[in-house]
Amino acid sequence: MFDFPYFISMLPDIWKAFKETIIMIAISVSISLVIGLPLGILLFVSDKGMFWENRFIKNVFGFAVNLVRSIPYIILLVALFPLTNLLIGSTIGPVAASVSLSVAAIPYFARLVESSMREIDKGVVEATIAVGATPWMIIKDVLIPEARSSIIRGVTLTIISLVAYSAMAGVVGGGGIGDLAIRFGYYRYDDTIMIATVAILVILVQLIQLTGELVAKSIDKR
Amino acid sequence: MLEFQNITKIYESKKKQIVGVDNVSLTINKGDIFGIVGYSGAGKSSLLRCVNLLERPTSGKVLVDGVDLTQLSSSELRIARLKIGMIFQHFYLISQKTVGENIAFALRAAKTPKNRIEQRVNELLEMVGLTDKRDVYPGQLSGGQKQRVGIARALANNPSILLCDEATSALDPKTTLSILRLLKEINEKLGITIVLITHEMDVVKEICNRMAIMQDGRVVETGEVYDIFAEPKEPLTQEFIKSVVSFDIPNEILKDVKGQIIKILFKGEVAGEGVISDTMQRFNVKGNFLHGTIEYIQERPLGIFIMELQGEIAAVNEAKHYMEQRGAIVEVV
Repeated sequence: MFDFPYFISMLPDIWKAFKETIIMIAISVSISLVIGLPLGILLFVSDKGMFWENRFIKNVFGFAVNLVRSIPYIILLVALFPLTNLLIGSTIGPVAASVSLSVAAIPYFARLVESSMREIDKGVVEATIAVGATPWMIIKDVLIPEARSSIIRGVTLTIISLVAYSAMAGVVGGGGIGDLAIRFGYYRYDDTIMIATVAILVILVQLIQLTGELVAKSIDKR
Repeated sequence: MLEFQNITKIYESKKKQIVGVDNVSLTINKGDIFGIVGYSGAGKSSLLRCVNLLERPTSGKVLVDGVDLTQLSSSELRIARLKIGMIFQHFYLISQKTVGENIAFALRAAKTPKNRIEQRVNELLEMVGLTDKRDVYPGQLSGGQKQRVGIARALANNPSILLCDEATSALDPKTTLSILRLLKEINEKLGITIVLITHEMDVVKEICNRMAIMQDGRVVETGEVYDIFAEPKEPLTQEFIKSVVSFDIPNEILKDVKGQIIKILFKGEVAGEGVISDTMQRFNVKGNFLHGTIEYIQERPLGIFIMELQGEIAAVNEAKHYMEQRGAIVEVV
Protein backbone atom coordinates (compact mmCIF):
# COMPACT_ATOMS: atom_id res chain seq x y z
CA MET A 1 0.00 0.00 0.00
CA PHE A 2 2.51 2.60 1.13
CA ASP A 3 5.50 2.53 -1.20
CA PHE A 4 8.29 4.22 0.74
CA PRO A 5 10.94 4.63 -2.01
CA TYR A 6 8.23 6.03 -4.29
CA PHE A 7 7.23 8.44 -1.54
CA ILE A 8 10.83 9.64 -1.26
CA SER A 9 10.97 10.16 -5.01
CA MET A 10 7.80 12.24 -4.81
CA LEU A 11 9.07 14.46 -1.99
CA PRO A 12 9.96 17.44 -4.24
CA ASP A 13 6.40 17.44 -5.62
CA ILE A 14 4.92 17.15 -2.16
CA TRP A 15 7.14 19.99 -0.93
CA LYS A 16 6.08 22.18 -3.86
CA ALA A 17 2.41 21.44 -3.15
CA PHE A 18 2.92 22.13 0.54
CA LYS A 19 4.45 25.52 -0.22
CA GLU A 20 1.51 26.35 -2.50
CA THR A 21 -0.92 25.47 0.27
CA ILE A 22 0.97 27.68 2.69
CA ILE A 23 0.97 30.57 0.19
CA MET A 24 -2.77 30.27 -0.41
CA ILE A 25 -3.53 30.14 3.29
CA ALA A 26 -1.11 32.92 4.20
CA ILE A 27 -2.55 35.31 1.61
CA SER A 28 -6.18 34.53 2.32
CA VAL A 29 -5.77 34.58 6.12
CA SER A 30 -4.03 37.96 5.94
CA ILE A 31 -6.74 39.43 3.76
CA SER A 32 -9.57 37.97 5.82
CA LEU A 33 -8.01 39.35 9.02
CA VAL A 34 -7.56 42.81 7.58
CA ILE A 35 -11.10 42.99 6.21
CA GLY A 36 -12.92 40.53 8.46
CA LEU A 37 -11.89 42.08 11.77
CA PRO A 38 -13.29 45.56 11.05
CA LEU A 39 -16.34 43.97 9.42
CA GLY A 40 -16.95 41.84 12.51
CA ILE A 41 -16.58 44.87 14.78
CA LEU A 42 -18.96 46.82 12.55
CA LEU A 43 -21.53 44.02 12.74
CA PHE A 44 -21.23 44.07 16.53
CA VAL A 45 -21.31 47.80 17.23
CA SER A 46 -24.14 48.49 14.78
CA ASP A 47 -26.33 45.92 16.52
CA LYS A 48 -29.35 46.86 18.61
CA GLY A 49 -28.47 48.46 21.90
CA MET A 50 -24.86 49.16 20.95
CA PHE A 51 -23.30 52.59 20.71
CA TRP A 52 -23.37 52.74 16.91
CA GLU A 53 -26.75 51.09 16.56
CA ASN A 54 -27.66 51.33 12.88
CA ARG A 55 -30.22 48.98 11.39
CA PHE A 56 -29.33 49.84 7.82
CA ILE A 57 -25.64 49.00 8.18
CA LYS A 58 -26.40 45.95 10.28
CA ASN A 59 -28.86 44.60 7.70
CA VAL A 60 -26.81 45.37 4.59
CA PHE A 61 -23.58 43.88 5.91
CA GLY A 62 -25.39 41.08 7.70
CA PHE A 63 -27.10 40.12 4.44
CA ALA A 64 -23.86 40.25 2.45
CA VAL A 65 -22.12 38.05 5.00
CA ASN A 66 -24.94 35.51 5.01
CA LEU A 67 -25.09 35.55 1.21
CA VAL A 68 -21.44 34.62 0.76
CA ARG A 69 -21.59 32.09 3.56
CA SER A 70 -24.56 30.31 2.03
CA ILE A 71 -22.82 29.67 -1.31
CA PRO A 72 -20.95 26.34 -1.38
CA TYR A 73 -17.26 27.09 -1.73
CA ILE A 74 -16.76 25.10 -4.90
CA ILE A 75 -19.45 27.22 -6.61
CA LEU A 76 -18.08 30.46 -5.19
CA LEU A 77 -14.71 29.47 -6.58
CA VAL A 78 -16.02 29.11 -10.10
CA ALA A 79 -18.36 32.10 -9.86
CA LEU A 80 -15.41 34.31 -8.89
CA PHE A 81 -13.30 33.39 -11.95
CA PRO A 82 -14.07 36.70 -13.70
CA LEU A 83 -13.09 38.68 -10.62
CA THR A 84 -9.97 36.56 -10.16
CA ASN A 85 -9.01 37.11 -13.78
CA LEU A 86 -9.51 40.83 -13.37
CA LEU A 87 -7.40 41.04 -10.22
CA ILE A 88 -4.66 38.51 -10.92
CA GLY A 89 -4.80 38.09 -14.67
CA SER A 90 -5.13 34.33 -14.34
CA THR A 91 -7.37 31.78 -12.67
CA ILE A 92 -4.70 29.16 -12.16
CA GLY A 93 -2.23 28.83 -9.32
CA PRO A 94 -2.17 29.48 -5.59
CA VAL A 95 -2.32 33.29 -5.85
CA ALA A 96 -5.43 33.10 -8.03
CA ALA A 97 -7.00 30.63 -5.61
CA SER A 98 -6.41 33.10 -2.78
CA VAL A 99 -9.04 35.43 -4.24
CA SER A 100 -11.94 33.07 -3.72
CA LEU A 101 -10.46 31.73 -0.49
CA SER A 102 -10.35 35.28 0.89
CA VAL A 103 -13.89 36.01 -0.22
CA ALA A 104 -15.06 32.86 1.56
CA ALA A 105 -13.01 33.47 4.70
CA ILE A 106 -13.83 37.16 5.25
CA PRO A 107 -17.49 36.69 6.23
CA TYR A 108 -16.66 33.55 8.20
CA PHE A 109 -14.05 35.34 10.26
CA ALA A 110 -16.24 38.44 10.61
CA ARG A 111 -19.01 36.35 12.17
CA LEU A 112 -16.49 34.76 14.54
CA VAL A 113 -15.25 38.21 15.59
CA GLU A 114 -18.82 39.35 16.12
CA SER A 115 -19.65 36.37 18.31
CA SER A 116 -16.39 36.79 20.26
CA MET A 117 -17.47 40.31 21.10
CA ARG A 118 -20.90 39.13 22.14
CA GLU A 119 -19.22 37.10 24.87
CA ILE A 120 -17.96 40.29 26.52
CA ASP A 121 -20.05 41.24 29.52
CA LYS A 122 -22.29 44.13 28.41
CA GLY A 123 -21.64 45.71 31.80
CA VAL A 124 -17.97 46.21 30.99
CA VAL A 125 -18.86 48.14 27.84
CA GLU A 126 -21.49 50.10 29.73
CA ALA A 127 -19.04 50.97 32.49
CA THR A 128 -16.70 52.49 29.93
CA ILE A 129 -19.56 54.40 28.30
CA ALA A 130 -20.40 55.75 31.76
CA VAL A 131 -16.77 56.84 32.13
CA GLY A 132 -17.22 59.03 29.05
CA ALA A 133 -15.07 57.01 26.64
CA THR A 134 -15.27 57.65 22.90
CA PRO A 135 -16.52 54.85 20.64
CA TRP A 136 -13.03 54.50 19.19
CA MET A 137 -11.56 54.05 22.69
CA ILE A 138 -14.16 51.44 23.48
CA ILE A 139 -13.32 49.50 20.32
CA LYS A 140 -9.57 49.78 20.75
CA ASP A 141 -9.26 49.42 24.53
CA VAL A 142 -12.27 47.35 25.51
CA LEU A 143 -13.79 45.31 22.69
CA ILE A 144 -10.59 44.15 21.02
CA PRO A 145 -8.57 43.41 24.20
CA GLU A 146 -11.50 41.71 25.94
CA ALA A 147 -12.31 39.56 22.89
CA ARG A 148 -8.65 38.99 21.97
CA SER A 149 -8.35 35.42 23.18
CA SER A 150 -11.61 34.41 21.61
CA ILE A 151 -10.65 36.16 18.35
CA ILE A 152 -7.39 34.18 18.26
CA ARG A 153 -9.47 31.00 18.52
CA GLY A 154 -11.51 32.38 15.62
CA VAL A 155 -8.34 32.87 13.58
CA THR A 156 -7.45 29.24 14.29
CA LEU A 157 -10.86 28.09 13.09
CA THR A 158 -10.58 30.27 9.98
CA ILE A 159 -7.14 28.87 9.10
CA ILE A 160 -8.37 25.30 9.52
CA SER A 161 -11.38 25.99 7.30
CA LEU A 162 -9.03 27.50 4.74
CA VAL A 163 -6.91 24.34 4.76
CA ALA A 164 -10.04 22.39 3.84
CA TYR A 165 -11.15 24.95 1.24
CA SER A 166 -7.66 25.11 -0.28
CA ALA A 167 -7.93 21.40 -1.07
CA MET A 168 -11.02 22.17 -3.13
CA ALA A 169 -9.27 25.03 -4.86
CA GLY A 170 -6.85 22.39 -6.10
CA VAL A 171 -9.59 20.87 -8.24
CA VAL A 172 -9.68 23.88 -10.51
CA GLY A 173 -5.94 24.34 -10.74
CA GLY A 174 -5.20 26.15 -7.53
CA GLY A 175 -2.40 23.79 -6.67
CA GLY A 176 -1.43 22.71 -3.19
CA ILE A 177 -1.68 19.58 -1.11
CA GLY A 178 -5.35 19.06 -1.91
CA ASP A 179 -4.61 19.25 -5.60
CA LEU A 180 -1.94 16.59 -5.18
CA ALA A 181 -4.28 14.36 -3.22
CA ILE A 182 -6.94 14.54 -5.89
CA ARG A 183 -4.71 14.22 -8.94
CA PHE A 184 -2.60 11.35 -7.67
CA GLY A 185 -4.55 9.80 -4.86
CA TYR A 186 -8.02 9.99 -6.34
CA TYR A 187 -7.63 9.98 -10.13
CA ARG A 188 -4.66 7.60 -10.24
CA TYR A 189 -5.49 5.40 -7.26
CA ASP A 190 -2.08 6.32 -5.87
CA ASP A 191 -2.39 5.15 -2.25
CA THR A 192 1.06 6.39 -1.25
CA ILE A 193 0.33 9.99 -2.22
CA MET A 194 -3.17 9.76 -0.81
CA ILE A 195 -1.90 8.59 2.59
CA ALA A 196 1.00 11.05 2.59
CA THR A 197 -1.16 14.08 1.73
CA VAL A 198 -3.88 13.16 4.21
CA ALA A 199 -1.22 12.68 6.88
CA ILE A 200 0.29 16.07 6.07
CA LEU A 201 -3.13 17.72 6.31
CA VAL A 202 -3.88 16.00 9.63
CA ILE A 203 -0.56 17.10 11.10
CA LEU A 204 -1.00 20.62 9.72
CA VAL A 205 -4.45 21.02 11.25
CA GLN A 206 -3.31 19.61 14.59
CA LEU A 207 -0.38 22.02 14.67
CA ILE A 208 -2.56 25.01 13.83
CA GLN A 209 -5.08 24.06 16.50
CA LEU A 210 -2.39 23.52 19.12
CA THR A 211 -0.57 26.77 18.35
CA GLY A 212 -3.83 28.73 18.28
CA GLU A 213 -4.89 27.37 21.65
CA LEU A 214 -1.49 28.10 23.17
CA VAL A 215 -1.47 31.68 21.93
CA ALA A 216 -5.08 32.25 23.02
CA LYS A 217 -4.30 30.99 26.52
CA SER A 218 -1.05 32.86 26.91
CA ILE A 219 -2.53 36.28 26.12
CA ASP A 220 -5.57 35.87 28.39
CA LYS A 221 -5.10 37.81 31.64
CA ARG A 222 -8.21 36.56 33.40
CA MET B 1 -27.35 69.18 42.75
CA LEU B 2 -29.23 66.43 41.02
CA GLU B 3 -32.87 66.69 40.13
CA PHE B 4 -35.25 64.14 38.72
CA GLN B 5 -38.32 65.81 37.25
CA ASN B 6 -41.25 63.51 36.49
CA ILE B 7 -39.07 60.69 35.27
CA THR B 8 -40.95 57.86 33.62
CA LYS B 9 -39.30 54.90 31.98
CA ILE B 10 -41.37 52.45 30.01
CA TYR B 11 -39.88 49.26 28.62
CA GLU B 12 -41.50 48.04 25.43
CA SER B 13 -41.60 44.32 25.06
CA LYS B 14 -43.37 42.46 22.28
CA LYS B 15 -46.67 41.97 24.01
CA LYS B 16 -46.90 44.66 26.62
CA GLN B 17 -45.38 47.74 28.17
CA ILE B 18 -43.60 47.48 31.47
CA VAL B 19 -43.37 50.60 33.59
CA GLY B 20 -39.91 50.64 35.15
CA VAL B 21 -40.02 54.09 36.67
CA ASP B 22 -43.33 55.84 37.23
CA ASN B 23 -43.31 59.64 37.38
CA VAL B 24 -40.52 60.07 39.92
CA SER B 25 -39.44 63.51 41.09
CA LEU B 26 -36.58 63.77 43.54
CA THR B 27 -34.04 66.39 44.49
CA ILE B 28 -30.64 65.32 45.73
CA ASN B 29 -28.59 68.11 47.25
CA LYS B 30 -24.92 68.73 46.79
CA GLY B 31 -22.92 66.75 49.34
CA ASP B 32 -25.74 64.33 50.12
CA ILE B 33 -25.23 60.62 50.45
CA PHE B 34 -28.61 59.64 49.13
CA GLY B 35 -29.84 56.08 49.42
CA ILE B 36 -32.55 54.65 47.19
CA VAL B 37 -33.96 51.48 48.69
CA GLY B 38 -36.32 48.90 47.25
CA TYR B 39 -36.68 45.27 46.38
CA SER B 40 -35.43 44.08 43.02
CA GLY B 41 -37.72 45.24 40.24
CA ALA B 42 -38.74 48.36 42.15
CA GLY B 43 -37.17 50.54 39.47
CA LYS B 44 -34.30 51.92 41.52
CA SER B 45 -31.63 50.71 39.12
CA SER B 46 -33.49 52.13 36.11
CA LEU B 47 -33.81 55.45 37.91
CA LEU B 48 -30.11 55.55 38.73
CA ARG B 49 -29.19 54.69 35.15
CA CYS B 50 -31.26 57.64 33.97
CA VAL B 51 -28.80 59.98 35.68
CA ASN B 52 -25.98 59.37 33.20
CA LEU B 53 -28.43 58.26 30.52
CA LEU B 54 -27.23 54.69 30.31
CA GLU B 55 -30.98 54.52 29.99
CA ARG B 56 -32.99 57.33 28.50
CA PRO B 57 -36.16 58.18 30.38
CA THR B 58 -39.32 57.85 28.29
CA SER B 59 -40.37 61.22 29.64
CA GLY B 60 -39.14 63.71 32.21
CA LYS B 61 -35.91 65.53 32.83
CA VAL B 62 -32.69 64.83 34.68
CA LEU B 63 -30.90 67.98 35.78
CA VAL B 64 -27.30 67.67 36.87
CA ASP B 65 -26.14 70.98 38.31
CA GLY B 66 -28.95 72.60 36.36
CA VAL B 67 -28.09 71.03 33.00
CA ASP B 68 -30.72 68.86 31.36
CA LEU B 69 -28.70 65.90 30.11
CA THR B 70 -31.50 64.63 27.87
CA GLN B 71 -31.05 67.71 25.67
CA LEU B 72 -27.33 67.24 25.04
CA SER B 73 -25.78 66.00 21.81
CA SER B 74 -23.91 62.72 22.03
CA SER B 75 -20.50 64.37 22.29
CA GLU B 76 -21.76 66.86 24.91
CA LEU B 77 -23.23 63.95 26.83
CA ARG B 78 -19.88 62.18 26.72
CA ILE B 79 -18.23 65.23 28.29
CA ALA B 80 -20.98 65.46 30.91
CA ARG B 81 -20.43 61.80 31.81
CA LEU B 82 -16.82 62.56 32.74
CA LYS B 83 -18.23 64.40 35.73
CA ILE B 84 -20.58 61.60 36.78
CA GLY B 85 -18.72 58.63 38.24
CA MET B 86 -20.38 55.24 38.48
CA ILE B 87 -19.56 51.99 40.26
CA PHE B 88 -21.30 48.66 39.84
CA GLN B 89 -22.21 45.52 41.76
CA HIS B 90 -20.04 43.41 39.48
CA PHE B 91 -17.29 46.04 39.16
CA TYR B 92 -17.03 45.76 35.36
CA LEU B 93 -13.31 46.35 35.03
CA ILE B 94 -11.50 45.65 31.77
CA SER B 95 -10.14 42.20 32.56
CA GLN B 96 -7.31 42.37 29.99
CA LYS B 97 -5.88 45.60 31.37
CA THR B 98 -3.98 46.17 34.59
CA VAL B 99 -5.40 48.10 37.51
CA GLY B 100 -3.34 51.13 36.48
CA GLU B 101 -4.46 50.88 32.86
CA ASN B 102 -8.10 50.61 33.93
CA ILE B 103 -7.82 53.88 35.81
CA ALA B 104 -5.76 55.50 33.07
CA PHE B 105 -8.54 54.58 30.63
CA ALA B 106 -10.91 56.99 32.39
CA LEU B 107 -8.26 59.70 32.37
CA ARG B 108 -7.64 59.22 28.66
CA ALA B 109 -11.38 59.55 28.06
CA ALA B 110 -11.02 63.05 29.51
CA LYS B 111 -8.01 63.72 27.24
CA THR B 112 -5.71 64.12 30.23
CA PRO B 113 -2.17 64.94 29.06
CA LYS B 114 0.07 61.87 29.08
CA ASN B 115 2.49 63.21 31.68
CA ARG B 116 -0.36 63.90 34.09
CA ILE B 117 -1.89 60.43 33.79
CA GLU B 118 0.72 58.47 35.70
CA GLN B 119 0.76 60.93 38.57
CA ARG B 120 -3.03 60.96 38.80
CA VAL B 121 -3.23 57.13 38.67
CA ASN B 122 -0.85 56.97 41.62
CA GLU B 123 -2.86 59.57 43.53
CA LEU B 124 -6.06 57.61 42.98
CA LEU B 125 -4.47 54.30 43.93
CA GLU B 126 -3.29 55.87 47.13
CA MET B 127 -6.75 57.22 47.86
CA VAL B 128 -8.31 53.76 47.58
CA GLY B 129 -5.40 52.01 49.30
CA LEU B 130 -4.09 49.94 46.38
CA THR B 131 -0.70 51.48 45.64
CA ASP B 132 0.96 48.06 45.38
CA LYS B 133 -1.59 46.72 42.85
CA ARG B 134 -0.96 49.06 39.94
CA ASP B 135 0.46 46.44 37.58
CA VAL B 136 -1.79 43.59 38.62
CA TYR B 137 -4.71 42.33 36.49
CA PRO B 138 -8.23 42.51 37.97
CA GLY B 139 -8.49 38.70 37.90
CA GLN B 140 -5.95 38.53 40.73
CA LEU B 141 -7.87 40.88 43.02
CA SER B 142 -10.51 40.16 45.66
CA GLY B 143 -14.02 41.58 45.29
CA GLY B 144 -13.33 44.44 47.68
CA GLN B 145 -10.12 45.34 45.85
CA LYS B 146 -11.92 45.27 42.49
CA GLN B 147 -14.52 47.65 43.85
CA ARG B 148 -11.74 49.95 45.04
CA VAL B 149 -10.37 50.00 41.50
CA GLY B 150 -13.91 50.75 40.31
CA ILE B 151 -14.06 53.67 42.73
CA ALA B 152 -10.66 54.96 41.61
CA ARG B 153 -11.79 54.79 37.97
CA ALA B 154 -15.06 56.55 38.80
CA LEU B 155 -13.25 59.36 40.65
CA ALA B 156 -10.50 59.79 38.07
CA ASN B 157 -11.92 62.91 36.48
CA ASN B 158 -13.06 64.61 39.71
CA PRO B 159 -16.77 64.02 39.24
CA SER B 160 -19.38 65.98 41.15
CA ILE B 161 -21.62 62.94 41.50
CA LEU B 162 -20.86 59.30 42.21
CA LEU B 163 -23.53 56.73 41.33
CA CYS B 164 -23.37 53.41 43.15
CA ASP B 165 -25.38 50.59 41.59
CA GLU B 166 -25.64 47.97 44.36
CA ALA B 167 -21.93 48.56 44.85
CA THR B 168 -21.60 46.40 47.95
CA SER B 169 -24.18 43.71 47.21
CA ALA B 170 -21.59 41.22 45.96
CA LEU B 171 -19.29 41.73 48.94
CA ASP B 172 -19.08 40.12 52.37
CA PRO B 173 -20.14 42.19 55.41
CA LYS B 174 -16.63 43.14 56.46
CA THR B 175 -15.61 44.25 52.98
CA THR B 176 -18.94 46.04 52.58
CA LEU B 177 -18.18 48.08 55.67
CA SER B 178 -14.71 49.03 54.45
CA ILE B 179 -16.09 50.11 51.06
CA LEU B 180 -18.83 52.15 52.76
CA ARG B 181 -16.24 53.85 54.96
CA LEU B 182 -14.23 54.70 51.85
CA LEU B 183 -17.33 56.17 50.19
CA LYS B 184 -18.07 58.24 53.26
CA GLU B 185 -14.49 59.48 53.36
CA ILE B 186 -14.71 60.46 49.68
CA ASN B 187 -17.97 62.28 50.33
CA GLU B 188 -16.49 64.22 53.24
CA LYS B 189 -13.06 64.96 51.77
CA LEU B 190 -14.02 65.71 48.20
CA GLY B 191 -17.59 66.88 48.71
CA ILE B 192 -18.86 64.49 46.06
CA THR B 193 -22.60 63.84 46.05
CA ILE B 194 -23.23 60.11 46.28
CA VAL B 195 -26.37 58.39 45.09
CA LEU B 196 -26.53 54.74 45.97
CA ILE B 197 -29.15 52.12 45.40
CA THR B 198 -29.37 49.07 47.58
CA HIS B 199 -31.75 46.53 49.01
CA GLU B 200 -29.86 46.50 52.29
CA MET B 201 -31.07 48.91 54.94
CA ASP B 202 -27.77 48.44 56.78
CA VAL B 203 -25.98 50.26 54.00
CA VAL B 204 -28.34 53.22 54.23
CA LYS B 205 -28.10 53.30 58.00
CA GLU B 206 -24.32 53.23 57.82
CA ILE B 207 -23.65 56.16 55.49
CA CYS B 208 -26.70 57.89 54.01
CA ASN B 209 -28.14 61.14 55.26
CA ARG B 210 -31.22 61.12 53.05
CA MET B 211 -33.14 58.33 51.44
CA ALA B 212 -36.06 57.31 49.28
CA ILE B 213 -37.97 54.06 49.25
CA MET B 214 -39.22 52.76 45.93
CA GLN B 215 -41.91 50.27 45.03
CA ASP B 216 -43.38 49.47 41.61
CA GLY B 217 -41.46 52.31 39.99
CA ARG B 218 -42.70 54.94 42.42
CA VAL B 219 -41.07 56.69 45.35
CA VAL B 220 -43.29 55.83 48.32
CA GLU B 221 -41.40 57.74 50.99
CA THR B 222 -38.47 60.09 51.12
CA GLY B 223 -36.71 62.14 53.77
CA GLU B 224 -33.86 62.26 56.26
CA VAL B 225 -32.62 58.78 57.11
CA TYR B 226 -32.86 59.54 60.82
CA ASP B 227 -36.49 60.60 60.58
CA ILE B 228 -37.44 57.64 58.47
CA PHE B 229 -35.78 55.24 60.89
CA ALA B 230 -37.50 56.95 63.81
CA GLU B 231 -40.95 57.13 62.28
CA PRO B 232 -41.41 55.15 59.09
CA LYS B 233 -44.82 55.95 57.64
CA GLU B 234 -45.42 53.54 54.78
CA PRO B 235 -45.83 49.77 55.37
CA LEU B 236 -42.97 49.02 52.98
CA THR B 237 -40.68 51.41 54.83
CA GLN B 238 -41.60 49.78 58.12
CA GLU B 239 -40.80 46.42 56.62
CA PHE B 240 -37.36 47.61 55.56
CA ILE B 241 -36.65 49.23 58.92
CA LYS B 242 -37.61 45.96 60.60
CA SER B 243 -34.80 44.23 58.76
CA VAL B 244 -32.36 46.38 60.71
CA VAL B 245 -34.18 47.26 63.91
CA SER B 246 -36.52 44.46 64.86
CA PHE B 247 -38.79 44.35 67.91
CA ASP B 248 -40.24 40.93 67.75
CA ILE B 249 -41.09 39.70 71.21
CA PRO B 250 -41.55 35.96 71.60
CA ASN B 251 -45.12 34.80 72.24
CA GLU B 252 -44.01 33.02 75.43
CA ILE B 253 -43.17 36.41 76.91
CA LEU B 254 -46.26 38.18 75.59
CA LYS B 255 -48.48 35.53 77.23
CA ASP B 256 -47.33 36.58 80.67
CA VAL B 257 -47.76 40.30 80.07
CA LYS B 258 -50.50 41.75 82.27
CA GLY B 259 -50.15 45.48 81.74
CA GLN B 260 -50.11 47.68 78.65
CA ILE B 261 -47.32 47.32 76.11
CA ILE B 262 -45.96 50.61 74.84
CA LYS B 263 -43.22 51.61 72.46
CA ILE B 264 -41.19 54.60 73.55
CA LEU B 265 -39.05 56.45 71.09
CA PHE B 266 -36.35 58.92 72.05
CA LYS B 267 -34.95 61.05 69.29
CA GLY B 268 -31.65 62.86 69.37
CA GLU B 269 -30.32 64.27 72.58
CA VAL B 270 -33.18 63.20 74.85
CA ALA B 271 -31.63 60.93 77.44
CA GLY B 272 -33.94 57.96 77.34
CA GLU B 273 -33.04 56.22 80.53
CA GLY B 274 -33.40 59.31 82.68
CA VAL B 275 -36.92 59.95 81.46
CA ILE B 276 -38.00 56.41 82.15
CA SER B 277 -36.58 56.26 85.66
CA ASP B 278 -38.10 59.67 86.50
CA THR B 279 -41.46 58.41 85.29
CA MET B 280 -41.28 55.29 87.39
CA GLN B 281 -40.49 57.36 90.49
CA ARG B 282 -43.20 59.95 89.93
CA PHE B 283 -46.10 57.71 89.13
CA ASN B 284 -47.44 54.64 90.70
CA VAL B 285 -46.63 52.37 87.78
CA LYS B 286 -44.34 49.41 87.40
CA GLY B 287 -42.26 49.30 84.30
CA ASN B 288 -40.88 46.20 82.73
CA PHE B 289 -38.49 46.30 79.74
CA LEU B 290 -39.30 43.79 77.03
CA HIS B 291 -36.99 45.04 74.34
CA GLY B 292 -34.78 48.00 73.72
CA THR B 293 -32.02 49.43 71.66
CA ILE B 294 -30.19 52.64 71.00
CA GLU B 295 -29.26 52.96 67.35
CA TYR B 296 -26.79 55.54 66.16
CA ILE B 297 -27.80 56.97 62.82
CA GLN B 298 -25.66 59.76 61.42
CA GLU B 299 -24.04 59.69 64.87
CA ARG B 300 -27.32 60.74 66.46
CA PRO B 301 -28.76 58.34 69.01
CA LEU B 302 -32.22 56.89 68.41
CA GLY B 303 -33.57 55.07 71.45
CA ILE B 304 -36.40 52.63 71.00
CA PHE B 305 -37.78 50.72 73.99
CA ILE B 306 -40.68 48.34 74.36
CA MET B 307 -42.05 48.31 77.89
CA GLU B 308 -44.86 46.83 79.80
CA LEU B 309 -46.56 49.34 82.14
CA GLN B 310 -48.50 47.93 85.07
CA GLY B 311 -50.75 49.93 87.38
CA GLU B 312 -54.03 51.86 87.53
CA ILE B 313 -55.20 52.97 84.09
CA ALA B 314 -55.16 56.61 85.14
CA ALA B 315 -51.61 56.34 86.45
CA VAL B 316 -50.46 54.58 83.30
CA ASN B 317 -51.99 57.31 81.15
CA GLU B 318 -50.42 60.03 83.25
CA ALA B 319 -47.07 58.30 83.00
CA LYS B 320 -47.33 58.15 79.20
CA HIS B 321 -48.36 61.79 79.07
CA TYR B 322 -45.38 62.73 81.23
CA MET B 323 -42.96 60.88 79.00
CA GLU B 324 -44.39 62.64 75.96
CA GLN B 325 -43.88 65.98 77.69
CA ARG B 326 -40.27 65.05 78.20
CA GLY B 327 -39.85 64.59 74.45
CA ALA B 328 -40.49 60.91 73.99
CA ILE B 329 -42.81 59.53 71.38
CA VAL B 330 -45.10 57.00 73.02
CA GLU B 331 -47.19 54.53 71.14
CA VAL B 332 -49.38 51.70 72.41
CA VAL B 333 -48.43 48.47 70.70
